[in-house]
Amino acid sequence: MSWADAVLFAARGLLRRRGRAVLTLVAVALAAALLTALLMITETGRSRVLDQLSRGGPLAGVRVDAAVDDGVLRRVRALPDVAAVVPIATTRLLVATDGVVVADVDEGGDGAGAAPAVRPGADVEGIVGVDIAQADNLPITVLAGRLPEPGTTTEVAVDQRWLERRGVAQGEEAGVVGTEVVLGAVREGAGGRRDSLAARWTRALVVGAVAQEAAAGGVLAPLPVVLDARAWAAGGAGPAGEDPLTGGGGEGGPYEGLFVVAQGLNQVDEARQQLSALGLPNEAPENLIASVLRYLHVVELVLASIGVIALVIAALGIANALLAAVRERRREIGVLKAIGARDRDVRRVFLFEAVALGLGGGLAGTVLGWAIARGVGAVVNDYLSAQGLAGVTVALPPAVLGGGILGSAVLALLAGTVPAVRAARLPARDAMGEG
Amino acid sequence: MSSPSSSGGDGAGAGVEVRELSHRYERPEGRLTVLDGVGFSIPPGGHVALTGASGAGKSTLLSILGGLEPPQSGHVHVGGHDLDGLDGDELASYRRRTVGFVFQHFGLLETLTASENVEVALTLAGTRARARRARAAELLAAVGLADRAGHRPGALSGGERQRVAIARALANRSRLVLADEPTGNLDERAATRVLDLLEQLPAERGCTLVVVTHDRSVAERAPARLHLDEGRLSGP
Ligand SMILES: Nc1ncnc2c1ncn2[C@@H]1O[C@H](COP(=O)(O)OP(=O)(O)O)[C@@H](O)[C@H]1O
Ligand SMILES: [Mg+2]
Repeated sequence: MSWADAVLFAARGLLRRRGRAVLTLVAVALAAALLTALLMITETGRSRVLDQLSRGGPLAGVRVDAAVDDGVLRRVRALPDVAAVVPIATTRLLVATDGVVVADVDEGGDGAGAAPAVRPGADVEGIVGVDIAQADNLPITVLAGRLPEPGTTTEVAVDQRWLERRGVAQGEEAGVVGTEVVLGAVREGAGGRRDSLAARWTRALVVGAVAQEAAAGGVLAPLPVVLDARAWAAGGAGPAGEDPLTGGGGEGGPYEGLFVVAQGLNQVDEARQQLSALGLPNEAPENLIASVLRYLHVVELVLASIGVIALVIAALGIANALLAAVRERRREIGVLKAIGARDRDVRRVFLFEAVALGLGGGLAGTVLGWAIARGVGAVVNDYLSAQGLAGVTVALPPAVLGGGILGSAVLALLAGTVPAVRAARLPARDAMGEG
Repeated sequence: MSSPSSSGGDGAGAGVEVRELSHRYERPEGRLTVLDGVGFSIPPGGHVALTGASGAGKSTLLSILGGLEPPQSGHVHVGGHDLDGLDGDELASYRRRTVGFVFQHFGLLETLTASENVEVALTLAGTRARARRARAAELLAAVGLADRAGHRPGALSGGERQRVAIARALANRSRLVLADEPTGNLDERAATRVLDLLEQLPAERGCTLVVVTHDRSVAERAPARLHLDEGRLSGP
């Protein structure tokens, strides 16, 4: 009997016991779907993280806490193991949350302290200015709302320190979105006299709440907010253009720090050495990276084993269905042998039945799993875009596609072996059987 | 009958020669000797009826002649084949090329049409599809079922099914046709038609024919009869 004939025969055998074949097929399909979906989801998660690490995302980031000017910035950008550099400018501004716009003020003061008098309702806040367009490279997570538009001076986000100081509970971050703040840049008058302190007040809309580790602060703002405020403050005749609140910004360059993204996870060490060689103190969350990867690996293993266990159970279903078929078809198998079928012909027919179930189920299941993973991906994308982060593309990697289908077929083949061998060994004499 | 004859002969029926054939089954209740030193011979193209009580060993003897079981002891010689020396695949090849079975239960595959049931035997022998269809059509016509070729067994009467089985038994130009109670499940008219078909095989196709029956009237239609009793052969 040729292979084609055996296949045809197997198909007939399955069609004859259609109900059982369909049930078995569904079991295999569901198991394959589970495996495919789980593998796709973990694969997507892993590739996104690895992608970030290899592009250098925040995880491959190194923080440089030192004043940096444009010259140093250029040299850091030129370092071989550095993928991207995001300069961070920080300053301290008066921030009023009562929404009252105050014209330029001359706060009269008493005493001789250096600190400026603060309007009631205004606090001194650290402002972290970054190029929002590069936020993807920074350790910033949107908790509510969105990030400010890059380049604007009228939108800001508040960070976890701000929320903490104002007692905003977790989950209630959305409440601050849409509120207005007034930012006050303070200029020291000529001679540094306190009564010449002046503040320029500008309105800004809080468009989001974030958790950020780019630099210590309270407000995350587009770079121009910080640079403008600083320029205004420096425009006064203060000593060496020093910012009267921070005492910084006057020397060493316009930036208070850098967020340096290494080429990849493996380049973090080299990048740090190169930064140190430039005299820049730096730190990187290497342990975090390692444990994230370890965690991802464990998740992957656990999910894959769940899928594989499901497939094995489905394979047992195939074995069971075929064993029952062999039991029922004793006489028919005997007749086949009586008209000349060899043991291996019979074995082949049953193996083909098993493979047909495995392939059919594997194929249907992989498609189903792909659809499930796409669905999950869509939900994840909604979440990610709400976070202001790039969405994921849930792709079906060829390895998962091939693995799902071939794996089911191979498992089915294994499951079919016992029934097939048993069928092949049935005595031809059973053809005479009374049954 | 019973005169040893040359077994062999190409194209024509297969001569059968059996000597000192014994067969036992090991059963939980103990050893059961079904055949106890049986010997006989059938000339090529002969027609023999095999009778005996239920459980006498008729089917066992037929299954040994047809290569469904290897002989345990003694010699079985059919058409140039020494069955006692053949292994599993060789027995399969012997069944495929030399023997045609007709069972009481017809033994048709329910999912296949009449034509396909005949073709299975040809498929196993490696015949090409086109030749298979032509041969099946020819044989179904010969048993009077040309117009039922596309029907499945479920749509055929018992007599028609048995005629499909006869067509299948002849598919590979079998030289020995073994029928085990071929009319056991048929009414009288259908039985007569089936027996007529079987009995003309030696003359028309040169087949050697052995028909097992416990029906006296069926046995009496055969020119030669063997009777199994207590594991031994006796006259009718
Ligand atoms: N595979 C077997 N194992 C054990 N005993 C068997 C087997 N086949 C047949 N027998 C026994 O051998 C005896 C002869 O069986 P069989 O040749 O079928 O008789 P008959 O066809 O004459 O009715 C019966 O008692 C039957 O139960
Ligand atoms: Mg019997």
